[in-house]
Amino acid sequence: MIPFVAKRLWNGFLTLAALATLTFFVMRLAPGGPFSRNRKISPEVQANIEAAFHLDEPVYQQFARYIWGILRGDLGPSTRFRDYSVNDLIAAGLPTSLTIGFWAILVAALVGIALGLAGALRRNGWTDYAAGAVGVIGIAIPIFIIGPLMQAYFSVYLGWLPVGGWNDGWRSLILPVLVLALPNIAYISRLTRSSTIEVLRENHVRTARAKGIGPARVLLGHAMTGALLPVIAYLGPASAALITGSILIETVFALPGIGRFFVDAALNRDYPLVMGITLVYGGFLIIFNIMTDLVRGWLDPRIRHEG
Amino acid sequence: MKMHLRTTTAGLALLALVAFALPARADDTLDRGVGSEWSSLDPHVNFDAAAAWILADAYEGLVNFDSKGALIPGAAESWDMSEDGKTYTFHLRAGLKWSNGDPLVAQDFVNGMLRTLNPETASEKGYYFYSSVQVKGAAGLANGETTDVSTLGVTAPDERTVVIEMVAPAPHMLQLMSSFQMAPLHGPSVAAHGSAAFIDPALVVSNGAYVIREVVPQSHVLLEKNANYWDAAKVSIPFVKYHVTEDVNTELLRYKAGEIDVTYDIPLAQMESLKTEMPGEVLTFPSTYLIYYSFNLSLPPFDNVDLRRALSLAIDREVLEGKIVKGGAIPTYSYGGGFDPAYLGPQIVEASMTQAEREALARELYAKAGFGPDNPLKLSVASTVAEINVKRANGIALMWKKVLGVETEVNAQERKAWLDLFYTDDWGVFADNLVGDFAGPETFLSYMRPSAEPGYDWVKPEYDTAMDVAAAIPDLPKRYEALAAAEKILLDDYIFAPIAIEPYRHLVKPNVKGFEPSVAGYHNSQFITLE
Repeated sequence: MIPFVAKRLWNGFLTLAALATLTFFVMRLAPGGPFSRNRKISPEVQANIEAAFHLDEPVYQQFARYIWGILRGDLGPSTRFRDYSVNDLIAAGLPTSLTIGFWAILVAALVGIALGLAGALRRNGWTDYAAGAVGVIGIAIPIFIIGPLMQAYFSVYLGWLPVGGWNDGWRSLILPVLVLALPNIAYISRLTRSSTIEVLRENHVRTARAKGIGPARVLLGHAMTGALLPVIAYLGPASAALITGSILIETVFALPGIGRFFVDAALNRDYPLVMGITLVYGGFLIIFNIMTDLVRGWLDPRIRHEG
Repeated sequence: MKMHLRTTTAGLALLALVAFALPARADDTLDRGVGSEWSSLDPHVNFDAAAAWILADAYEGLVNFDSKGALIPGAAESWDMSEDGKTYTFHLRAGLKWSNGDPLVAQDFVNGMLRTLNPETASEKGYYFYSSVQVKGAAGLANGETTDVSTLGVTAPDERTVVIEMVAPAPHMLQLMSSFQMAPLHGPSVAAHGSAAFIDPALVVSNGAYVIREVVPQSHVLLEKNANYWDAAKVSIPFVKYHVTEDVNTELLRYKAGEIDVTYDIPLAQMESLKTEMPGEVLTFPSTYLIYYSFNLSLPPFDNVDLRRALSLAIDREVLEGKIVKGGAIPTYSYGGGFDPAYLGPQIVEASMTQAEREALARELYAKAGFGPDNPLKLSVASTVAEINVKRANGIALMWKKVLGVETEVNAQERKAWLDLFYTDDWGVFADNLVGDFAGPETFLSYMRPSAEPGYDWVKPEYDTAMDVAAAIPDLPKRYEALAAAEKILLDDYIFAPIAIEPYRHLVKPNVKGFEPSVAGYHNSQFITLE
């Protein structure tokens, strides 16, 4: 187990290094620079500004400077948000994104699994149809439609919750968490339903039933772990995606998360900020994938890892 | 059991009520939208107009602007101009203080300008002092030719006097003396804390009507009334909260829900319905944002003035802005006019023609340039991807097609890519714009000087000469006459087609008083009241 984790972490580190290198150079291929402006300032002043951010150096030198910075835990200054370093901005935005993402994945997993199980056990019953309907809505209606609809109803019409912003504590959380969870509820419930149905047909479940074990115990004791394997495989990367922030959700609900920093940074060619957030995303993805594999191994002896 | 159920329901309902009841809306706070996040709250670095609202509340320059955008005394209670118009002497009010109680002295203003010009500050705003007006020694300091601060023609002979010497007279220099260009510097806090001295509420020292109390990136800035401001007695609203409102549709919903009192913008698609839905709350007025389409003078056939004029004439600006773009922009045929009513500009033939006459002349000139149905002009318009710009470009392409048979390709690029595209030859027409530094013609006209701004490949010594003539005149009405003569030279070459002046668009709650049309876009919260 420990060698497995160490090996995966090492691979993850290599992946991150490759990601950093690739992003660093690809980003500079995009036309326009951080200080492209409506032609206003004199070339000398433009050069001074670029020099202040070391943009006048050859690219390989900038790269070396950047890598050296990362090794010291310094992601550099932001060119778009001049008052902040990239470390500051990630520290400011990540907690918001993590909070929203954590609650969204929790709601999505609990509701999704419950709906999926209910659907599988009472196939073609009303719960199944209801779950199916939620699934279709969740997947088919995009966030930028359902978000404003919910804002218009719950916030403008009923006045229960704030439309956006991060000023009302938990009340600011409800709508974004719901909207972010919805498509995931849909996926998780569909996955749970189909894999449960499949598992319930398998021999060991049939044997358990033949032994006279009640349906609840069959489900929880014999079918559940098998049924949840695909769900867990889905949850790993999905958690990484949700927790590191949904750009659309943050835009629609005016939330100060790192997703919006990412878009703003890319549009304004803020190289250090794009790099920093890319590395955070990459790091989370790698960690969640390792965790997913560990949980799956623990649940399923067939894919248990050597060592 | 029934009883039990009822109690539970009642309990749940009560819980829901408590949970969902709106918190008492703080009516001591003015909530304003600022669009995208500010790039900096450092007054010597910030270049964004919206962030300038925040900074104009927190810092005060030598002059200030009232609710209608008129120039009024700020930290300086009065000023005199030397006879040749080259030297201005500002007299500061007595007893001025920083928000922490430190005395505010004339040298703080000198230091502010020095910091803006210092290459290490990496500010883009130095050009106000070496280009918009030419302060003695400013260019040398900005270019890094010298670090000797005594070369700057700005001095503080005593604690209450700031003297600014310029190379040439510039009556518009007063427009550049407010906090956006001329914020003072509280040296000790910046020396001790660096950029944190502008964003950390515990460290910020400012001299405006408000002080910074809270800064959350991508969320908001909260300001509180500054008790040490010289005119604090007249500041009515205790708190001002500037919200980042990146998405214009979300901002509208937040306005409707009462979370925001004054919006940054209005979604174009909703302008008409909002005017009927909430009459009196939709406020639009002209800005200093000029939209014009530049021609690539070094790329044939755009070196042909007849062709350029034909393309300009074929655009029906009224239909374009009123029926196609529908953003409330004001059609224009001039470049420097429409901002200061005192500037009359040159006679522009196009402006007094009917559209039918313009189109007839356009066809004639188009044929004269050698184009026709068998030999149509093919061109590419470089635009940004912003919806409003693409809409306008497509509208113009349609008119060129209809009137002249021109085949236009709209090349919509992301903003940063569009900016760099200008320096290539991959465009025939550039969907251009310029935001003036102040509400007057000179900011626009000097921008087009072939000697000052590379990029347009326009060779016209006569224009530089005419602008030099104007630049030597200290008297404003006479200067405006000379500027109009220069503008005629500019317009007659049709190096661009002026299109329209973009308006500001705001939704303003009925209880917000004192948020009024201001062409230069100044809306200091100190002049706003909540009823």
